[in-house]
Amino acid sequence: MVTRAPAQSAGAGAGAGGEGKAEPSARQVAGRRWRSARGVVGALLLMVVIAVGLAALRPSGSPEELDPTSPKKDGARALAEILKQRGTPITVARNAGQATAAALPGTVLVVTRSERLTSDDLDRLREAQGDLLLVRPGRDALDALAPEVRNAGPSFDRTAEPGCGLQAATVAGRVTFGEAQTFEAPANATACYRAGEWPRLVQTRSAGRTVTILGTAAFLTNEHLAEEGNASLAMNLAGARSSVVWLIPDKPAAGTEHGDRTIFDMVPFGVWLFFFELVVAVLLVALWRGRRLGPVVAEALPVVVRSAETVEGRARLYRAARARDRAADALRAGARERIVPLLGLPRASAQDPAAMHEIVAAVTLRTDDEEAAVGAALYGPEPADDAGLIALTDVLDALERQVRES
Amino acid sequence: MALTGRLGLLALLGAVTPLFLPSWWTLLALWGVLLLGVAADLALAGNVRALRLHRTGDTSVRLGETARVALVVENLGRRRLKARLRDVWPPSAGAAPRTVTVDVPSGERRRVEMTLTPTRRGDRNAITVVVRSVGPLGLAARQLSRPAPWTVRALPAFPSRRHLPAKLARLRELTGQHVALIRGQGTEFDSLREYVDGDDVRSIDWRATARRADVVVRTWRPERDRRIYLVLDTGRTSAGRVGDIPRLDCSMDAALLLGALASRAGDRVDLLAYDRRVRARVEGASRTDLLPAMVHAMAPLDPELLECDAAGMVSTLMARVRQRCLVVLLTELNTAAIEEGLLPLLPRLTARHLVMIAAVADPRVGEMAAGRGDLASVYDAASAERARAERRRLTAELRTHGVEVVDAPPGEIAPALADAYLALKAAGRL
Repeated sequence: MVTRAPAQSAGAGAGAGGEGKAEPSARQVAGRRWRSARGVVGALLLMVVIAVGLAALRPSGSPEELDPTSPKKDGARALAEILKQRGTPITVARNAGQATAAALPGTVLVVTRSERLTSDDLDRLREAQGDLLLVRPGRDALDALAPEVRNAGPSFDRTAEPGCGLQAATVAGRVTFGEAQTFEAPANATACYRAGEWPRLVQTRSAGRTVTILGTAAFLTNEHLAEEGNASLAMNLAGARSSVVWLIPDKPAAGTEHGDRTIFDMVPFGVWLFFFELVVAVLLVALWRGRRLGPVVAEALPVVVRSAETVEGRARLYRAARARDRAADALRAGARERIVPLLGLPRASAQDPAAMHEIVAAVTLRTDDEEAAVGAALYGPEPADDAGLIALTDVLDALERQVRES
Repeated sequence: MALTGRLGLLALLGAVTPLFLPSWWTLLALWGVLLLGVAADLALAGNVRALRLHRTGDTSVRLGETARVALVVENLGRRRLKARLRDVWPPSAGAAPRTVTVDVPSGERRRVEMTLTPTRRGDRNAITVVVRSVGPLGLAARQLSRPAPWTVRALPAFPSRRHLPAKLARLRELTGQHVALIRGQGTEFDSLREYVDGDDVRSIDWRATARRADVVVRTWRPERDRRIYLVLDTGRTSAGRVGDIPRLDCSMDAALLLGALASRAGDRVDLLAYDRRVRARVEGASRTDLLPAMVHAMAPLDPELLECDAAGMVSTLMARVRQRCLVVLLTELNTAAIEEGLLPLLPRLTARHLVMIAAVADPRVGEMAAGRGDLASVYDAASAERARAERRRLTAELRTHGVEVVDAPPGEIAPALADAYLALKAAGRL
């Protein structure tokens, strides 16, 4: 029943033992660092490329886009001037409050840059009187001001024919739209300038007022107003009633009552779920890495202290206390201990004060030094300073060497 | 239970799905699928409880060498076992490889070869075998520890065994020496032979000479069947590190060389390791068994951070040996320990036995004593000189009690001790 299988080799690289590992060269070190870092470097480069690409793809909107006082290419001063000359007074509103205050039953309220409007602003505008002309409304603006009309994606046809019964459009005829939004209009609404199936201009009547939705702002700008029937369409739409209120909202300041919309409100739900699942995945990976294969093994280690520790400690104590006397005594005693056997004297006399003269005389005989100098070296007083102590060791070494060589 | 990296990777890849289908249901479905996979893996993974583990291989290894221990994994379960396996040993056992992957079909067995290179002396016990049995999908695993007991004893390295041939040659010189040049009090009478030039006149046997026409000398041979008692001090002084190894290990090395030599010389060797109690004892081992017995007795010994109880040691020794023997005490020449502990008891010991003290000197003290140049080195040198002077004084005092003292650095202590023994033997003082 039990079959004997070949033994599984578990030893890794047993044959490669015995070779000493050479110190890696600088080139090898650099290569190893590069190999370990190249993933990170590559990821960083990729992020930079993606960021640059996104920045390049983003449409550059200037702060004065569709500003009726701006003479720049994307401003709308030309249209405003023409409207004034034609006897339609134009009031510029910089926030929703001003706009609602200025809007009367006989006005057209032109709402531009609706992405800057907060939900409070949109509520106010919904209550405002007069007709509405929404220029490129965002999703929130569309939901609030023309709930029956839906966004249906972008179109890129440059020009378009009216294709509807709206008088303003038929009078204007062909108009250049450029890149524009299209809409999904209800059946009772007037839908013009279709791109394929979806219109780019929708007019509906609701709650006793006309709401016109434009999928583009291009034909209102100074740059494009003179092309095709642009000016005519713009005049007819904006100047349909006795006066115009042009709402171009400033950016809501942070922290004001309008600043309750944060970036997080604009993140789609799917992205939230994506991040949530990322957290779950990280948690699972942490659980995978966190599970140890078996216990951590603790081991009682034998206590091992350096044997020379006490000797070193005493040396430091000598030094801290500047114990030159004791240090010199120890050094002299050690030197005498080594010199005395060389002189042929009994070993015990080395530490015997009575043998002092005998030893000094014997050493003087074998060295070039004076007896007084030898005596001072082997039995002298405490050195006066640290330099004296260091010098003493040199003198003792010299004496010992001379005795040894004599 | 354990999860795998594959599960984490799938969860990571699955994070993209809510971008296309932004709903909680997407996530719940994803988790459901992963959970099912995990459950299936846990249910279908090979059964770790049905494993039978046993071992074969070395039970002892000399320190510094490598032991081979095989772990046999036998799968008695119905399912195939695919697992990562870790044979858990203490760190100082030097077990390799750390983990292995095994694939054992039902009813079969596999061998996992482990190598152990212990870094310290002593017993190393296998702690457990951890098996992580991965399911067929590789999403989750069942993990369990199974016992597989085994012990590998790391024996003292005995590096001084390289000195043994030289010392044995010296010993043969001694035993082959027909005329004992030195007349010792304890030397044994061997035979009579005719006088030749160069023989010691003191060894002439006048009575035999009178009986014959020739001058006859007595010949001596070194005595045999003497008793040698090796005493290892495992107290606090043995914990000091000299060079790279603890003093105790140096002492063991010296004791092993002396034991090997003395047993070849025909002497009886006993061993006692003592601090405040008997830590190890080898007595009455035969000549062939002696070295293995000593090595095994020494292997689990570690220094204790206690002051050695000299009185207890001496009385243990006196109680165990009645006849005269050579007591070799392997300790440290520590002034306080010797003066307060051993010195007052020495007369009791030396009255009956010949005592020899072997101490490992620290080469660092020698280095410090040679230090010159700056102030720190000079104070180091002074301190080292002072330590050496104390050691000399202690040695001299011990010698006045008739104790032989061998004091040598770690590399030389073993041959020095062997030489001292041979000198005693040649002098017939045993």
